[in-house]
Amino acid sequence: MMRTKGWLAFGLALLARQAPAQARIDERWPLDPAGSVRIVNPVGTIRVRGWDADSLAVSARLERQAGGGRFYAAGDAHVRKLGIDGAVGTGADIEVRVPRGATVWVKSATASIQVEGVDGTLDLSSQGGSIHVLGTPQDVTAETMDGSVEVAGGTARARVKTVSGDILLRGASQDLGASTLSGRIVVRAAGWQRGGTGVQRGKFESVTGDIRFEGELGRSGVVEVESQSGTIEVRVPASTVADFDVLTIGGTITNTLGASQPRRRSASAGQELRFSTGGGGAQVTVRNFKGAIVLGPK
Amino acid sequence: MMCPDMEATLNEYVDSTLAVLQREAVDEHLAQCTGCRDALAELRRLVAGARQLPPSITPPRDFWPVIGRRIGQRATWNLQRVWWRGALAAAAVLVIALGLYRLLPPSTAHYRPAGEWAGWAAVQADFDRASDDLSHIFAAERGRLRPETVAVLERNLAVIDVAIGESRAALAREPANAELRRFFAAAARQKVELLRWVTRTGES
Repeated sequence: MMRTKGWLAFGLALLARQAPAQARIDERWPLDPAGSVRIVNPVGTIRVRGWDADSLAVSARLERQAGGGRFYAAGDAHVRKLGIDGAVGTGADIEVRVPRGATVWVKSATASIQVEGVDGTLDLSSQGGSIHVLGTPQDVTAETMDGSVEVAGGTARARVKTVSGDILLRGASQDLGASTLSGRIVVRAAGWQRGGTGVQRGKFESVTGDIRFEGELGRSGVVEVESQSGTIEVRVPASTVADFDVLTIGGTITNTLGASQPRRRSASAGQELRFSTGGGGAQVTVRNFKGAIVLGPK
Repeated sequence: MMCPDMEATLNEYVDSTLAVLQREAVDEHLAQCTGCRDALAELRRLVAGARQLPPSITPPRDFWPVIGRRIGQRATWNLQRVWWRGALAAAAVLVIALGLYRLLPPSTAHYRPAGEWAGWAAVQADFDRASDDLSHIFAAERGRLRPETVAVLERNLAVIDVAIGESRAALAREPANAELRRFFAAAARQKVELLRWVTRTGES
């Protein structure tokens, strides 16, 4: 009996030693309505929520292991930085509430980043984590190497860059830029019916990734789409007024947006198509080295 | 020489993002450490210099070799190494972007007389040098990167090299084709941007 108890105690001690202890952090500081927040969390998740309060609240949970990371925070009511310092085995989950108008800077290694309801400027960067933004931030810059990026809602300006991650931009944004090497870009631009003005300025580029632009162009908007070998698909309302300038060196052009059909380039290889659906409208330029280009009604 | 564990702290000190207590601790340390004081002065010079930069800079033709030589010199301390690595990446992007921009047609004209493109070979050579140097950084840094990151970078470097090869081959057939130059320019910029990830990832 004593021997059994001894083994039981030994086993429990071993379990207790192996099970990582969790540390929980709940802190709150005053922050100006237009203050700045810098958040770093290498592994795990980062959630940022805008709220109608002049303060910043952080709630974090991290595994406390030997050699693991530690939570830190510093700053004042204008600038506050916080995050996880050092290596974290299984990562940390951080939720931060910030004033809606705050400027938010987030950096991670593999941690996913989610931002919701922040109207200020967002600068989000991750090596491998995904990035999701929901709301109407003034300005968004998002970069991730192989994670995906989704910006939904509406922004005055968004710049998104990935290496192999997919990019989805949807909502009523005015100035959009997306660049990827092998990821896929999908843009769903809302027009005035959904509270937007259509895209006033858009530049979308890839090397091998497909690009699909679907939605409304702003009056006098300028949209450029370029790829080396990905398929480019542009779908706009049939009533769109725009000048289209489309060219491919080694691919094909399919147009169902009007009667105009592509022709062989006179002095060079490839096909080109130029047509207008009315004066004073948007300007759409599409270039593809060897991939297909499809124009059609939405 | 700066204390090896002070690099991040001094950057924060210059950015004024340290908490009051941390700032006081750094003040005390600076009072006793000549190396860190020198590093701080260097950082402040960098920040002041950056603030005085014009919105755009056109590099001279011999800009790249100077950068390359400086990079080649072994950095004597960490801050220099990190700064120059970042400078190399930034310079590479600058050289490529401005060089290509200068040589691309301002209008939608698809052809220009061949004589107008005398600088094109030099721009391609600049790109090759920048690309090679950044590739060497990648080779040196790969041990510090996560294996998954290295895999993503290598896979995409292969993709971009194929794209650049295709554009180059097409340009060899039609050297005066402005559209082909645009495609080459776009692919070149993507490659430099990709290699920039390496420097940024290594720094973090």
